[in-house]
Amino acid sequence: MNGPLIVQSDKTLLLEVDHELAEACRRAIAPFAELERAPEHIHTYRVTPLGLWNARAAGHDAEQVVDALVEYSRYPVPHALLVDIAETMGRYGRLTLSKHPAHGLVLTTTDRPVLEEILRSKRVQPLVGARIDADTVAVHPSERGQIKQTLLKLGWPAEDLAGYVDGEAHPIELAEDGWSLRPYQQHAVEGFWHGGSGVVVLPCGAGKTLVGAGAMARAKATTLILVTNTVSARQWKNELVRRTSLTEDEIGEYSGTKKEIRPVTIATYQVLTTRRKGVYPHLELFDSRDWGLIVYDEVHLLPAPVFKFTADLQARRRLGLTATLVREDGKEADVFSLIGPKRFDAPWKEIEAQGYIAPADCVEVRVNLTDSERLAYATAEAEEKYRFCATTATKRRVTEALVEKFAGQQILVIGQYIDQLDELGAHLDAPVIKGETSNKERERLFDAFRNGEINVLVVSKVANFSIDLPEATVAIQVSGTFGSRQEEAQRLGRVLRPKADGHQAHFYSVVARDTIDQDFAAHRQRFLAEQGYAYRIVDADELLAP
Amino acid sequence: MGIGELDREAHVPEGRPRGTAGSPRTLAEALRARGDDGLAALLRARPDLLGPVPNDLTQLATRAGTRASVVRALERLDRFSLQVAQALAVAPDPAPYPVLLGLFTGGRPGSAVEEALPRAVALLREQALVWGGDDRLRLVRTARELLSPSPQHPSPTGLGPTVAEATAGMSPGRLQEIVAAAGLPSTHDPVSAVAALTSLFTDRERMAALLDTAPPEALAVLDRLVWGPPYGEVTAKPAPPVGWLRDRGLLLPVSPRTMVLPREVALHLRGGRAHRAPEPRAPELSVAREYRPAVADGAAAGQAYAALATVEELLKSWEHGGPPVLRAGGLSVRDLKRTAAALDVPEPVAAFWLELAYGAGLLASDGEADERYAPTPAYDDWLDLPPAERWVRLAAAWLAATRTPGLAGGQDAKGRTLSVLGPDLDRAAAPEVRRRVLGLLAALPPGAAPDPETLLARLRWERPTRGGSAADRAPAAPGAPAAAPPETAAGAWASDSRPAPASSPAPSSPVDLRERLARWALQDAELLGITGRGALSTAARALLNLPLDAPAEPSAEGGGVEPEVAEERAAELLEPLLPEAVDHVLLQADLTAVAPGPLLRPLADALAVLADVESKGGATVYRFTPGSVRRALDTGQAASDLHAFLAAHSRTPVPQPLAYLIDDVARRHGHLRIGAASAYVRCDDDALLGEILADRRSAPLRLRRLAPTVLAAQTDPSSLLDGLRAMGYAPAAESAEGDVLVARAAAHRTPVRTPPAPVPDGPPPPDATLLAAAVRAIRAGDRAATAVRKEPAPAAATPGGLPRTSPAETLATVQAAAMTGSAVWIGYVNAEGAASQRVIAPVRVEGGFVTGYDHTADEVRTYPLHRITGVAELADDEV
Repeated sequence: MNGPLIVQSDKTLLLEVDHELAEACRRAIAPFAELERAPEHIHTYRVTPLGLWNARAAGHDAEQVVDALVEYSRYPVPHALLVDIAETMGRYGRLTLSKHPAHGLVLTTTDRPVLEEILRSKRVQPLVGARIDADTVAVHPSERGQIKQTLLKLGWPAEDLAGYVDGEAHPIELAEDGWSLRPYQQHAVEGFWHGGSGVVVLPCGAGKTLVGAGAMARAKATTLILVTNTVSARQWKNELVRRTSLTEDEIGEYSGTKKEIRPVTIATYQVLTTRRKGVYPHLELFDSRDWGLIVYDEVHLLPAPVFKFTADLQARRRLGLTATLVREDGKEADVFSLIGPKRFDAPWKEIEAQGYIAPADCVEVRVNLTDSERLAYATAEAEEKYRFCATTATKRRVTEALVEKFAGQQILVIGQYIDQLDELGAHLDAPVIKGETSNKERERLFDAFRNGEINVLVVSKVANFSIDLPEATVAIQVSGTFGSRQEEAQRLGRVLRPKADGHQAHFYSVVARDTIDQDFAAHRQRFLAEQGYAYRIVDADELLAP
Repeated sequence: MGIGELDREAHVPEGRPRGTAGSPRTLAEALRARGDDGLAALLRARPDLLGPVPNDLTQLATRAGTRASVVRALERLDRFSLQVAQALAVAPDPAPYPVLLGLFTGGRPGSAVEEALPRAVALLREQALVWGGDDRLRLVRTARELLSPSPQHPSPTGLGPTVAEATAGMSPGRLQEIVAAAGLPSTHDPVSAVAALTSLFTDRERMAALLDTAPPEALAVLDRLVWGPPYGEVTAKPAPPVGWLRDRGLLLPVSPRTMVLPREVALHLRGGRAHRAPEPRAPELSVAREYRPAVADGAAAGQAYAALATVEELLKSWEHGGPPVLRAGGLSVRDLKRTAAALDVPEPVAAFWLELAYGAGLLASDGEADERYAPTPAYDDWLDLPPAERWVRLAAAWLAATRTPGLAGGQDAKGRTLSVLGPDLDRAAAPEVRRRVLGLLAALPPGAAPDPETLLARLRWERPTRGGSAADRAPAAPGAPAAAPPETAAGAWASDSRPAPASSPAPSSPVDLRERLARWALQDAELLGITGRGALSTAARALLNLPLDAPAEPSAEGGGVEPEVAEERAAELLEPLLPEAVDHVLLQADLTAVAPGPLLRPLADALAVLADVESKGGATVYRFTPGSVRRALDTGQAASDLHAFLAAHSRTPVPQPLAYLIDDVARRHGHLRIGAASAYVRCDDDALLGEILADRRSAPLRLRRLAPTVLAAQTDPSSLLDGLRAMGYAPAAESAEGDVLVARAAAHRTPVRTPPAPVPDGPPPPDATLLAAAVRAIRAGDRAATAVRKEPAPAAATPGGLPRTSPAETLATVQAAAMTGSAVWIGYVNAEGAASQRVIAPVRVEGGFVTGYDHTADEVRTYPLHRITGVAELADDEV
């Protein structure tokens, strides 16, 4: 018994990556265990009910799961854990959602007490209709998502056999002239298509847009794409025109400025959630065409009203794309239950090893507050403390030193506070993109940056996501949205596009020592640290020293 | 009915001719005829007879016939032996073997019963519940009284009283009418009338003829009563079918409203069978799953390791200020909940671990003014043992423990909640049930896991009557008129195999205690790693002293090895299966360390200070945080020590962020120094002090700047420390000499404690030496008592003089008389010193008094035994 896997009593699995059987073991446990952390030596997987149920949905049974654990485990696996796994997996499939020729959508059970139990729940009662027979109950078609979500919370996940509508057909092909989908993108598309709906998790810069395009080419139907902002919508459009048989006329943009509905329509979350007189007028978009596929870009940002509406769209294929499915509000489970389970996931370091994203050197620069700053920091109001330490003047000098060090490379300076950014922009003599910058101006500046006309760009959090800046090689983060893990990962993602010359990307996070800034930074870095990005720490003095 | 007809089980056969070899006249004689092995077997089966060692066989027989002892013995019978005893109780006394067999087979050959009956009879004989040869099987009188049907205690056979018993109080006229209605020749003598009726009911052909004439409704009534309970309610004017039956004596009245089906009639209707479902064979255990023994052992070892880790974690968490002891003893519900949450197990499981640690003597109350629980010094010794031996210690303590954590949370008879570690959790039957459960598991091939339900069914068969319920009831005189016969068969002996919905036991009744104990035993065994995936592990077999690689005999008692040797062997078997301790960790850049196995203890202890445990199991995941590093620095280690420690124990290079973390915390650690005497803050950096002073959060500390580098505080040093830490600083306490105080609390221990001794029920099973000695002593005493003396005993022979006997003899004779109901002649000295002779028929002997019917005074009187000078039996024809 000397396997690579150690099963912990809290249902985490520790996988020793340097073990000769590690790869086989990873394949064996991947169907049911979530990769939680992937640092350099030991990867941590977690066995959750959701993961076990997804495995059941994908056709694995409890015996396979138990065998995988027992076979690769280094130590005897506690019996209670195996029993628990079998018991949990046994709960899946007792209830099925299916289409009944006469009654429409129905919930059927193979285990009558379970049906009785769930029908007794107050949360289920409003979602179901008449009892058809002892084992069957009608479900309001519009509540398909709701009831699935509710049953999941009650611990009796329903197997959804009701299928998907095909939607309005529309010919879409990938135009693979001189390029082709990378193997992992191909896997992601297949994984998604096989599962029907779900979420694909790929690192920033690994080409999620192409996964979306691949999925559209498989669906060959009208598609609604939801993105975070207008700039991103334009990038999607350009990419689709370039990579697929779609022409510019077939792709519509539905945003604050334009309201086009075409066979492929790209809408922003912002416009969908615009509220007028208590209603969301633009949510109608979902019903405006018979969509065959809905793509959610950056699904971890999905706003609450869209959540609600997505629940009603269970008959349509849904694809969620994200790099970082961590939400500080803990709503990851809602994403899984409404969009679908995770269909594909690749550790960042693995994609990096394959050369599809640039290797990155992550550095935390610690700056000391001056004595007077420390005094001021100590007396600051609690809510002002972060702002105070995050915008210390020393950071400006460090940033200048870094910009000087990497002179000639494409540098992004990213921050949270506009004052700080404006000041930096002035000192570095670089343009600043912030919330009030018009879309036109933004695109002009991004284009100039891409073309190398501008070397240094100072951006606020508007550039956190979906901004494709392939040539950026250095990112300097001076402040952030407190402890947001996904923001940190997204910002690193800005510099991860593989470089033409294949050289390394640099990510600097400038942090004020011994302050709340340092605590937030530690939290922010956790996601990336768990993905195997080892931060180096340097003192500001080293950088500033001549 | 003359005295001579009563069975004289314990009679001293003094001066009488010995019975012929084939048929002993008394139980004592039957015992005397046994070999030493037979006596030893009796004493082993009924160890209560040994306390104190009886003087001679007469005394042994007397004691074996006492109610308490017989009840005890009956409780320990398996279901079939009990059924045999029950059948004997409704059979004529004495009963020849074929009659007994007939009561089971009803004349038809039933091979299973025929096979099992000799064994059951032999068992009953061995236990001195039955004596006499096969032609004259006799159930001892007390057992007969306990088992024969009476209105208070309906027999599980469902049979009622005999015709003779049921007509005891009936008027001769009524009897005449019945005899006439049954078509028998009339007789004026009630005794012959009863005899005639009895012979009619026991005559197969005539009875069949009589029933042929019965209306179908009457037969339906009989059908309802035939398998019991035999009693039925009637109205003042019964329906015609009932009237028909009553007129012919097929139903006899027991009270104005109740009728009973006489035993003879029921037996006829049943075809002679005493039990509806005789269960001659023990139910087989069915194997639910069979694993390779190595798989089961592996799973068990995994669980054994988890058990060690859990106990250690539990006790470690109680090292510094364990929970308080409730005033009534035990742990409060809230503390149990907290402990369960800390261990991440359900509360009943937490209760199990607590009781296990307590039972193994690792945990006790510290006995101080505010009593708290804390690990004992024995815990430290235990920790020093190798893991396998640690497990053996726990398992051995569990095997012998009488404490039952499963009862905690319930209520005792007075409605008080039973708390974990509290009083009243001892159940004497627990170890025996546990042993039996494991014994049954051991009877399966290695690696086989039984279906628990079949195992429980087997246990129910082996010990059908449970608890002391029968002994608790007031003894009712047999044949006494009953005020209100119970309608349902919910008596103490009514534990038939058929489920009786009306008599479902209350959750806390002793009836199902054994079953609950058995269930707990199964659960606990799995938790402790005695079993793995339901199958008994090899190490556990060794510990139980059973053969390792073959199924043990179901009744195997263990093979002769000393317990210490067995424990050693179990440890040896377990040891290679437990995870090997590792001496290194893997450090990772996300500030975690993974120990890929159990760590060597010093390493684990050091790491537990330096980092927080994030996940446990086969491996341990630690996370380094500024707080944990500061904790390590607080124990007096320097940053360089920590670096060296990590470098020495890490298989991988120390990641830069971790090194940085330690340096960062260390840089700030001890930067601030706080005096204990006057509570001051001093710091070389006066800006920092200014910073603290300026911070509004420092206001409650009431700091004042003494010098550019020193602040004085009005609060005590510890609040000051906490306050400053809360503000995000890392101050260090310092002594009067200016040294950094090392903050390391001594682990709390109780004074030396002995583990709670198991509380077994009754004396321990005697070992061979004791048995041999006891048998020798009894033989010697018996020889002395029965030696044929040349002279007749003078006291008893002298007419007019007071009889003189030794107090022991007096007691034995009076007890024997009370049992047989015979009269004795006693010499008695009253309080004034006046001597008298009396003839009394003792009814009850207890508490140093004998109560009996005094023929001399013609009333019931009670005499203190110590005033009785002596006792002599009366000649048979004297009363």
